[in-house]
Amino acid sequence: MDALAHDPVEGAAAPAHARPQLDLELINIRKRYGDFTAVDGVSLKVSKGQFVCLLGPSGCGKTTTLRCIAGLEEPDGGDVLIGGKEATRDPPWQRDIAMMFQDFALFPHMTVAKQVGFGLEMLKKPRAEIAQRVQHILKSFEIDGLADRKPASLSGGQRQRVALARAMITEPRILLLDEPIGALDYSLRETVMLELKLLQQRTGISFIWVTHDQNEAFSLGDLVVVMNHARIEQQGPPEEILQRPATAFVAGFVQGNNVFRGRVKEVLAGMLRIETPVGMFLVPWVAPPPMLGSEVSFSVRAEQLTDALSERHVNRLSAVCTAVEYFGAVRRHVFERSDGEVLKYDQFGAHAARIVPGQRTVLGWPAEAAVLHAGAGQ
Amino acid sequence: MIGWKGRLSLTGWILGAITLVFLAYQWLPIFTLGLLSFSGPTGGTTFPMNGTSLHWYEELWRATVMNDFKPPLVRSSLLALACSATTIVLSVMAAQAMRGQFRGNGWFFYLMLLGIMAPGILVGFGFAIMMRLMGVELSWDTTTFLVQVSWTLPFGFLTMLAVFNRFDKKVEEAALTLGASRLTAFRRITLPLVLPGVIGAGLFGFSLSYDEYARSMFTTGPDATLPLAVMAQLDRQLTPEIYAVGTTTTFFSLIAVLFFTLAFWAMRRSTSLRRSSSA
Repeated sequence: MDALAHDPVEGAAAPAHARPQLDLELINIRKRYGDFTAVDGVSLKVSKGQFVCLLGPSGCGKTTTLRCIAGLEEPDGGDVLIGGKEATRDPPWQRDIAMMFQDFALFPHMTVAKQVGFGLEMLKKPRAEIAQRVQHILKSFEIDGLADRKPASLSGGQRQRVALARAMITEPRILLLDEPIGALDYSLRETVMLELKLLQQRTGISFIWVTHDQNEAFSLGDLVVVMNHARIEQQGPPEEILQRPATAFVAGFVQGNNVFRGRVKEVLAGMLRIETPVGMFLVPWVAPPPMLGSEVSFSVRAEQLTDALSERHVNRLSAVCTAVEYFGAVRRHVFERSDGEVLKYDQFGAHAARIVPGQRTVLGWPAEAAVLHAGAGQ
Repeated sequence: MIGWKGRLSLTGWILGAITLVFLAYQWLPIFTLGLLSFSGPTGGTTFPMNGTSLHWYEELWRATVMNDFKPPLVRSSLLALACSATTIVLSVMAAQAMRGQFRGNGWFFYLMLLGIMAPGILVGFGFAIMMRLMGVELSWDTTTFLVQVSWTLPFGFLTMLAVFNRFDKKVEEAALTLGASRLTAFRRITLPLVLPGVIGAGLFGFSLSYDEYARSMFTTGPDATLPLAVMAQLDRQLTPEIYAVGTTTTFFSLIAVLFFTLAFWAMRRSTSLRRSSSA
């Protein structure tokens, strides 16, 4: 899709080049450690200059996937293609990548200038060129005053910049970032996220960003890949994952979804009637419809619920409010369903509080607000 | 009544005093020997000192063949240097291998430590017998060297294991992703960071070999090392010359330790090894 950035090697129609070159392609990557499967059949395509976020709980395989891309781990099966070239068995130092580590992994014995220039030194660049490029990148990252300092004397934010400068200086095709702002103070993160996003757009380097923080993933990623138990659960643009979670796991992992599990009782025109422990609900289906009696799950976003019911809200549920949290723009009500699970109801806008903790309320939502999950009912 | 802070400082004073007594107990004998080595030409090996002079140091310098300590001193120094260098190379390699968690690394670990546990006399004696059976000529620079390395290596190995234990392997990985090959990463990143440990392993190698007696006793062949020569002299006649030997070598050891302490200090100033990394 990014035809402009593609090599201008053309003239006549070149069928071999017809496919736009990908920065990265993972084909069915598998990695095991003894009995533990860390990555299981992960496939991913990253086009030129894309910002990809690997999102998932800890131990889901996102970091191992990243390390397979870096070459720090060798996958047991599958292929890694970097810039269209087979790189599965290449060592890290021969790959067109750079990596930023969670706690930055700065070289404690080198000055800032020395370690930022390390990548160029490895490329056997002349000394004068290294000095000049280091000077330039330190200036553009606003850390030129730190050139002669050692990492031990730097603050968290400064270390982060040094690590980024060290990784970016060779202008790699792909920058791999393993929880790159996880070690920063909370107050710094928003600023750094914005800076990194702008940097990525300006340089056109593909970023692969591993995080367990969905705010990071959804606000930064062009493509968000949700992983769980060594597999990809869903990949797509943030809007798609937020609005149409593909599995019960994704719906439950992404904030603000209410997940229901039940059995198909009736298949209607475009609708399913699903029986759950807390009642019967109408949920739209997408082809192919699930079998009658099969186990399914669906989710409804918390802001789609209402307590001001009309005949549009065909799905209804009575629950007891346990807590109300007020965030300014949104008031979140936490309910307990009759099966003990939590039900969340977000009320947007500065409305007056209508529900108090302890109150039993009937909540409803229109049938089309519910999203049926694939990978039925596990 | 004093508060718990008061009791805490009292405890501190008591423990401090015990420590001082212990240090005196450790150092006073050496100091006494040092003092007696400066007694006059007619002085004996016990107090009171008969005058003060450098007589016994002169004796040490113009020695006869019978009691010349210079060749054993040279042998012991060379042997210690060789043991030190060998210990450094092998212990770094062995500790690096342990990081890789190879199959049977637990057994390897315990077999290495066996060198510390095994009684020196038996090791030396057994080794000498084995060499005799194999028809190998015993000599301080071959057989003694081998048997001493088996003694110094485990200490260096343990030192390097401890150092690598708190080594952040992400730093190496960062170097690899920046285009450094494994060898370059070792040379430019790993080695400088574990250098204090390497020096420690080297010091172990040197000092353990330098004053080793039990393992040398049966394995040196005709040319003795310094501890053996001192022991032989003690058997013949006891003069303050022995004290002069001890004082001289202690003096050189102190200089060496001082040098390495300064080197450590300078390195710590320029590098903070204690990184805020967990795991």
